[in-house]
Amino acid sequence: MTDQLQPGARDDMLLRTENVSLSFGNVRALVDVSLTLRRGEITALVGDNGAGKSTLVRCVSGIHRAQSGRIVFDGDEINFHSPEDAREAGIETVHQNLALVEDLTVWQNLFLNRELVRRFGPVAVLDRRSMQVRAREMVSTLAVNVPAVRSRVRRLSGGQRQAVAICRAAGFSSKLVIMDEPTAALGVQETARVEELIVRMRDEGHSVLLISHNFAQVMRLSDQVWVMRAGRCVGGRRTAETTGEEIVALITGAVGR
Amino acid sequence: MHVNTRGRRAAAVGAVVTAGALVLGACGSSGSADTNATTGASDTTGASAAAGTQTKIAAIIKGLDNPFFQTMEQGINDQAKAAGVPVTVQAANSITDTTGQADKLNGLAGQDFSCYVVNPISGTNLIQGLARLSVLNKTVVNIDSPVDATAAKSANVKLATYIGTDNVQAGKMAGARMTELVPAGGDLAVVGGIAGDVTSAARVEGFQQGIGPKLKVVQTVAANWDRQTALTAATDVMRANPNLAGFFVANDDMGLGVARAIANSGKTGKIKVISVDGIKDALEAVKAGTLDGTVAQYPYAIGLMGVEACQAAATGKPLPPDVKAPVELVSKDTADKALAATPKPFGAYDDPFKTLIQ
Amino acid sequence: MANATLAAPEHEAWSTKLKDVGFWAEWAALVGLVVLVIVFQVLNPTFLSAGNIASMLVAAAILIILSVGQTFVVATAGIDLSIASTMTLGAVAFGQSYAAGWGLPLSCLMAVVASGLVGVANGVIIARGKITDFIVTLGTLSAASGLALILADGKPVTIIDPALLSLSTGGIGIFGWSVIIAFVVAVVAHAALFHTRFGTHLLATGGAPESATAMGISTQRIKIAVYTISGVLAGLGAILLVARIGAAEPAANTAFLLNSVAAVVLGGVSLFGGRGTIVGPVIGALLLIALVNGLTLLGVSQFYQPLAVGIVVVLAALLTRFQR
Repeated sequence: MTDQLQPGARDDMLLRTENVSLSFGNVRALVDVSLTLRRGEITALVGDNGAGKSTLVRCVSGIHRAQSGRIVFDGDEINFHSPEDAREAGIETVHQNLALVEDLTVWQNLFLNRELVRRFGPVAVLDRRSMQVRAREMVSTLAVNVPAVRSRVRRLSGGQRQAVAICRAAGFSSKLVIMDEPTAALGVQETARVEELIVRMRDEGHSVLLISHNFAQVMRLSDQVWVMRAGRCVGGRRTAETTGEEIVALITGAVGR
Repeated sequence: MHVNTRGRRAAAVGAVVTAGALVLGACGSSGSADTNATTGASDTTGASAAAGTQTKIAAIIKGLDNPFFQTMEQGINDQAKAAGVPVTVQAANSITDTTGQADKLNGLAGQDFSCYVVNPISGTNLIQGLARLSVLNKTVVNIDSPVDATAAKSANVKLATYIGTDNVQAGKMAGARMTELVPAGGDLAVVGGIAGDVTSAARVEGFQQGIGPKLKVVQTVAANWDRQTALTAATDVMRANPNLAGFFVANDDMGLGVARAIANSGKTGKIKVISVDGIKDALEAVKAGTLDGTVAQYPYAIGLMGVEACQAAATGKPLPPDVKAPVELVSKDTADKALAATPKPFGAYDDPFKTLIQ
Repeated sequence: MANATLAAPEHEAWSTKLKDVGFWAEWAALVGLVVLVIVFQVLNPTFLSAGNIASMLVAAAILIILSVGQTFVVATAGIDLSIASTMTLGAVAFGQSYAAGWGLPLSCLMAVVASGLVGVANGVIIARGKITDFIVTLGTLSAASGLALILADGKPVTIIDPALLSLSTGGIGIFGWSVIIAFVVAVVAHAALFHTRFGTHLLATGGAPESATAMGISTQRIKIAVYTISGVLAGLGAILLVARIGAAEPAANTAFLLNSVAAVVLGGVSLFGGRGTIVGPVIGALLLIALVNGLTLLGVSQFYQPLAVGIVVVLAALLTRFQR
């Protein structure tokens, strides 16, 4: 059973999945998943391992295609063939492994495959200066600890790398930023810094979809929580109106709705 | 992204390696067949086999990436055709492939040839195959590059005869000629093949004997039988020895590189260069004056005499153990004659096998 | 200020830089070259004479071009073992075309096209077939050598052409034309690597292929491109080789292959891909040529030369361990 929000609230919904299903051979990874994501909010997606969180996220970000049901993003039904399509629609993903290139600098990573160029006839030359300036802007608006944009990513700490990956996602005027376990590998202090960054992003107007195992984090940051179990969406709550125990109960199945 | 498969990748790798090995194997053996066809020699299986010839010859030479050995093969094939004897010629994949050549010999040793003409890359790389042949009492004729005597003795390898260029003699002739071209007391440099190579060392030794006390070798370099390397080395040697009067170069290919280096520094004619081998390009260069002389050896004659030796052995007569193949000094005045006669010698030479075959 | 700047500051003091092994590792090739030049010059003053510098540069030109090609490939964490054989094939293609009377420009084109096609074949098999580059280029090494022998029937073709002769002997001052061509190639390569999108994507493909793919870069296309570049440059090298020795020879030359890899390693390019420069391998190539030249000038026994080269290369490889 899924919780439906009032039909009248439709305009606030940036993302809506309706009865999305997907199977890999005999494995039913997603079964009739319906959930919504409100604009300008941090929405958390929780559930045990294998519940289908990552699979659902991959459908939204263009890696997989749902076999039935539909996904509506910003008013349009989506039909992504690749992650690039999702990116063009305004959905950015911060992968679990960050997708950074260690040997390149921060600004090079921020602009990877989106480099700014100056054209001289048929030849396109990198506009390094503009990219560095813009990189500095992107990083300083969001990050609390600012890595020098000309340093190589290899030299940054885990939290700083996470910050760079998030800045990249947020910096290209994306509507939705998806984050998969952003602080799983970080220490306490760095986790706090990254959480600050996520909140700032929300305050700057980005919408965030957060997958996390960390209940305290979910309770701290999110406005809305959706719980998945065994490929289904088993419940959704406004974070302010629920407790950690209730979420756990939904995950384990002690509570059915 | 990483769709499965260590299995798939391993299979793909295996397929490529197997395919590659097959292609290489085919290239190796068909290489000699191809050049047989293009040099116009008859098919190796001797369609013109005369009645009653049991002589069936297999020849293993060093490599076919060099006109020297192509000419040797031509001599072998021409004589085989003239005598109506079937011959198969195989060569190593390259002039440094010692184990590959040994593998080829082993392959041929298992077949029903009566006589084997071998031109080994090193003094010892074919010993095992040859020992096997000696056990089977097959005739082994050693040409051009000698099998090491001590190794042969300890492996009980029986060689019917050795036919080769006396490389020391060749170097000596070059040295003697150099004393005619360069005034006494002059400085010379030597460009050898691969460092440590026996043939190169023999020629250089002969050269030293040939120049005697009149001229002096001030520097020796190794240029790996490669024209580009010889060019670079000669340029540097000329710089190190501004009074240099001449070069002795262990083979023509390198010699042409040295001649080029001399030309580049504008010293053609002032610095003399003599090399060994007698390939066509070198003969042309001697005629044109960019090379001051070459001691021609005749792989054609060596190959030819190798086949003759097999024929002579088939008559049951004992063969002379050591036969010197002809060498001739080619200088500007004899260049035309040499060019007209090549690949055969332009002068007369001694062939002991001819009488044995009659 | 709440914003603290962490990670390395943008400008370190020179004294700390000099004490850092990583710094020396980055510049190993240049330091080595300078040391070599000083040592040789002291031992034999003709080393730095105008004529000798000119001949060293000309001798290095072909190696520089091959090393640049190899750098592009190694930067994507690949290797091109077929580069010298491809050059041989290009030379043979040149020779056969010229001997058939097709004229100089068309023969040059044939050299580049023949070698380029080998490069494309390498790239496609490696990228689409997903087979290790080591094995594929090992195979093309043999295939290209064999093809060269077949096309040339094992015989070298002498080429006497005035334009080619002036290419190998003429120039501006101490810089022969071949040196200038090599220099231009290096400059263009540097611009491509550091000032184009292609270059950035190339480094990403080499350093972190999964990240590159996640960001939408086609690593397949990059791989095909770098092997093609390597092949085309080998073709250019073939033209310079034919000009230098005056003949198109089908015999394989492994010295160029080994030296190209040595120059790349000396130049600080990581064999694991993702980082490298063009300047480094160029200096590496110059170092190798200067080493051999200096040893010859000093009359050092021919047996010591390979040993010296080997020691230098191993030292350089050791130093790269300390690169930051």
